[in-house]
Amino acid sequence: MDILTLSEYILMAALAIYALASVRIASRKNIGMGLVGMSGLSIAVATILVIVQSIYGIAFCKDIATALVLLGPVGTIAFARVLRGYNHG
Amino acid sequence: MDDIFALIQAALLLAAAVFVLLAALGILRFKDGIPRVLYARIHILGVADMACILALLIMGAPLLAGAYFILAPFASHAIANGFFYGEDKQ
Repeated sequence: MDILTLSEYILMAALAIYALASVRIASRKNIGMGLVGMSGLSIAVATILVIVQSIYGIAFCKDIATALVLLGPVGTIAFARVLRGYNHG
Repeated sequence: MDDIFALIQAALLLAAAVFVLLAALGILRFKDGIPRVLYARIHILGVADMACILALLIMGAPLLAGAYFILAPFASHAIANGFFYGEDKQ
């Protein structure tokens, strides 16, 4: 195993730990905490999928990562607008 | 020459892994009783975002990295803005 593959595995493990931390933050009672947790989870899973595509050669992982990267922040912005309320413009 | 590029890529991936682990530690470290702790967590989220963008660039997905580099500040600002006008004012 070369050093590049080893560092990819280490990054994947770090991202898995970060994804678990994000899920724990998302389970707090505030809606804002849920938004922070889900935003972190979406980019962590997208990066894991790109690494999986690089290591194992599964091509459709990159398509799912593209959808996550584009739709994750859009969903976060939309939900934050609802959280903000309609009275403030 | 390829070995040098592989070494640089591995070093940058390991640096991204360290930053992601620090972000995971920091996002859990703050107690919920601290007032307005959400802003601190958004700040930590930015660290993990930039580490993931660095990793995406190294893994050969520059379009994904660029798209997220543009979208992530808007998402963070929307969360902070929504919290300020929505939950924090109540």
